[in-house]
Amino acid sequence: MSDFLTSIGYGQWILNTLILLPLIGILPIALLPAARARQVALAVTCLELVLSLGLWWAFDPATTAMQFSVTAPWLGAWGISYTLGLDGLSLFMVLLTTLIMPLAVLSSFKYIEQRERLYYGLLLALLTGMLGVFLALDMFLFYVMWEVMLIPMYFIIGIWGGKNRLYAAIKFFIYTMAGSLLMLVAIIVMMFQVWKHTGTPSFAYEQFLAVAPQLGGLAPWLFLAFAIAFAIKVPIFPFHTWLPDAHVEAPTAGSVILASILLKMGTYGFLRFAVPFFPEVALSPAVTSIVVALAVIGIVYGALVAMVQPDIKKLVAYSSVSHLGFVMLGIWAATLQSVQGALMIMIGHGLSTGALFLLIGMLYERRHTRQIADFGGLARVIPVFSLILVVTSLASIGLPGLNGFIGEFLVLVGSFGRYPWATGIAATGVIFAAAYMLWALQRILFNKLDKPENEHLADLTPRELVVVLPLVAGMIWLGLYPRPVLDRMDAAAKNYLHLVQPGLERGSASTTAAAPEARP
Amino acid sequence: MTMVFDPATPAGQTVALLPEVVLSVATLAVLLVISFRHDGPGASRRAGWLSLASLGLTAVALLWLSFNVPEDTGIGQMIALDGFRFVGSALILLVTAGSVLASLGYLEREQLVAPEYYVLMLLATIGMLFMVNAQDLIVLFLGLETMSVAVYVLAGYDRRSAFSAEAALKYFLMGAFASGFLLYGIALVYGAAGSSNLVFAGAQFAQGSLSTMARLGLGLLVIGFGFKVAAVPFQMWAPDVYDGAPTPVSGFMATAVKTAAFVALARVLYTSFSGSVVEWQPVVFGLAVATMVLGNLVALVQKSLKRMLAYSSVAHAGYLLAAIWPGSAVGVSAMTFYLLGYGLTTIAAFALLGALGRGGERELTLADVGGLAETRPWMSFAFAVCLLSLLGFPGTIGFIGKWYIISAIVASGHPLLAVLLVITSIVSAGYYMPVIMAMYMRPARAPLAYHDRGLAGTARVAVAFSVVLILALGVWPVQLLELADGAAASLAQTASQATGGQ
Repeated sequence: MSDFLTSIGYGQWILNTLILLPLIGILPIALLPAARARQVALAVTCLELVLSLGLWWAFDPATTAMQFSVTAPWLGAWGISYTLGLDGLSLFMVLLTTLIMPLAVLSSFKYIEQRERLYYGLLLALLTGMLGVFLALDMFLFYVMWEVMLIPMYFIIGIWGGKNRLYAAIKFFIYTMAGSLLMLVAIIVMMFQVWKHTGTPSFAYEQFLAVAPQLGGLAPWLFLAFAIAFAIKVPIFPFHTWLPDAHVEAPTAGSVILASILLKMGTYGFLRFAVPFFPEVALSPAVTSIVVALAVIGIVYGALVAMVQPDIKKLVAYSSVSHLGFVMLGIWAATLQSVQGALMIMIGHGLSTGALFLLIGMLYERRHTRQIADFGGLARVIPVFSLILVVTSLASIGLPGLNGFIGEFLVLVGSFGRYPWATGIAATGVIFAAAYMLWALQRILFNKLDKPENEHLADLTPRELVVVLPLVAGMIWLGLYPRPVLDRMDAAAKNYLHLVQPGLERGSASTTAAAPEARP
Repeated sequence: MTMVFDPATPAGQTVALLPEVVLSVATLAVLLVISFRHDGPGASRRAGWLSLASLGLTAVALLWLSFNVPEDTGIGQMIALDGFRFVGSALILLVTAGSVLASLGYLEREQLVAPEYYVLMLLATIGMLFMVNAQDLIVLFLGLETMSVAVYVLAGYDRRSAFSAEAALKYFLMGAFASGFLLYGIALVYGAAGSSNLVFAGAQFAQGSLSTMARLGLGLLVIGFGFKVAAVPFQMWAPDVYDGAPTPVSGFMATAVKTAAFVALARVLYTSFSGSVVEWQPVVFGLAVATMVLGNLVALVQKSLKRMLAYSSVAHAGYLLAAIWPGSAVGVSAMTFYLLGYGLTTIAAFALLGALGRGGERELTLADVGGLAETRPWMSFAFAVCLLSLLGFPGTIGFIGKWYIISAIVASGHPLLAVLLVITSIVSAGYYMPVIMAMYMRPARAPLAYHDRGLAGTARVAVAFSVVLILALGVWPVQLLELADGAAASLAQTASQATGGQ
């Protein structure tokens, strides 16, 4: 396979193609009749998926260097270039994105009935933006992609969303933008530091990485600017309040993309930028205790709030807050297991929560309600749907044999040595997750079939099966045989640990040094 | 390059003023034509097209002049011959052409057909060109007054509207007041420097710290310009005037007048007071912060879209002041580039506003543009692009402009103003985004308010041109950034004549 890929020069054109193809796809959508829009969008996203699959084989797991890099000058006088590249960190985010998008398109066929051209055009623009965020190795380009992606999502929530969509859309937009504009200032400040130290202006990622240790007193402020932007996106408690609104009000495809991909941008930002740039700030005792505390609060709070939600979509939305807390804990614990676990949760959460939102969407299309109380006994009426929902929920809970388990287990094992107390509390989140998920399943699928409206629901159609089965297959595969995935992220995880090493050393040095002084 | 003309001779001076001479002659020609054919919409339309032709001729003259500037222009001419002037003049011609295009259909619809309108616009443009080329405070003042008097009349052009009359009167009184400040400042600077020439004054002020008289003169000059660019706390006339004036005139004031005033202000500060940056930096800092904060916060609570755009243009004056603040060439470059982006966007935004409303557009609110995307997808798209550009969203020229201003501020080593700039920009999302939201996400209000008519043909050209440029330059601004850099460098060179050539 990799020989074939080399023979067609795959590495040289793949990243450009992935970024540009969706934009080119917007053209036929604009020109063809509205009824054709969905077909074009499906064709383009499927093509993206097929093309991106080659990355799996072409990717060299042994190296930490950026692969398939392409670069072109943009604003040369300011050191801005169009530079893309991919490593073990971004590989899975890209594959997740290209996998989710055709499913999101397919799941919209019935749900989206008006202004289809605009809708599918926005989805394709969103695809370019999301891939751009994961692939950009130029900080200016990264920022542009990070922001550009907001607009399609804003429209998708605001036009095709639920009852309270306008509020949710503007809240999503302003929260995210407020965080990221300060990051723009931080990026520009760092660029001038690069300029000062090397004599040439550059927005290149490696240059930023190289200059970051020499920033001295600026570092905490710059870290803060980056961290707020990413924390809002993750979202870390207490910046999470936009999430339930946006997830619940968005149309199914919007919720799926938000949960599966957009949230990962925050944690990706921490892994790629915020922590490696400023390890000594990020892993200093003060910042660490704040972040770990917020992560644990997020885990427990998200789970507890999920438990009392009457709306199943809101339940899943809050469960995301809980799951992403594990990712943050894993990133900050900075051991090989915890980082690999964090990456595994990022992938696994993308699959299982994406699937959950898709299933909820399918249920909503049939019953036009999402209240848990309106259901009951569905397992007897729609057995296939119920089976898939059970499997997906169990994956989300972290049942061994399914994807959720690997990630959470690795995070807990990896973090326990460093933060035993926090990890202990976080582990209760797993129990709460079982509680809210299984309780919800019981009320929806089992119990008594006491509502006459539920007696004649139709089971999943072939189209809907095509939408969810790839995700279920992915969950089982990741749960049973995660080795190939772990191999491919191994180098990236080690590279992350190598980059944050100065922070770990300093953190442990200061705790041992401070300990004797603390005694009276 | 061969010496085409010698600016030191009277004939050379005339050549140095070629664009202004061409425009003046053309304006008189238009005036002659309309005095013969005055009645009806046909005559008004003809005057509009002739004005466009005049602006085109002026642009050709400007282009010729910019390529034939003698290498040694001599020190201390009254008329600048640097790239900064040429770029500033080109900007003014561009936004004036946009205003004329936006006016053509608008005046007929509002039954304001009188061909003098266009002559007034051309007269104002002549004044602006002089403000931009002035290297002498007296020339600057003459240009400013020529411009102001014409714009006072334009603001009150809708004689049937009490608000238009109010706008004109308010603008006139405030403008006269501001001119007083400016003139007093000029007198004091002259007294302190012994010359009204910017370069000679700069040479004088470069030696040691400023005298009290010079400092007072500088302060009064800044106040005078503060009125003209509507910087807080000298902004109180602006919302009422922008609101009451016919919409294309509001667009003209928000772009051309602001451009001329900012270019002139930058020239005065950078040529005469380049040695005393620390003296004026705190003042500009305070003005910029106050303008950004107040402009954005007050825009947030406006109900009328026209008033919202008026306050937004106040906020943008704050961003432009922030670009001047670092006192560096890159700051001037950022200001120049931002003026272009802001000018293109604002002209298009006011043209669209004019097409959406009726009777001066004072009553147009968010509810009136509800559901516009269903009936007028292209207009909504254009308006959305304009608003995103004003917000400074990536992919539009507004983002490149804001990025450049932030870079200029950060380059000075004190990023505080940049942080304040982005925080106020976040506030601005609170009033730009609801308009987009209304157009795309809210249902249309019944009965449809004025959705029957779209943009008139000429305004459509102006808007389409602007939107294409907003997007194209948002992705590929390289050449324009270079142009702005060149303009700023030439101003810095002129300034160094003052400080280095003593």
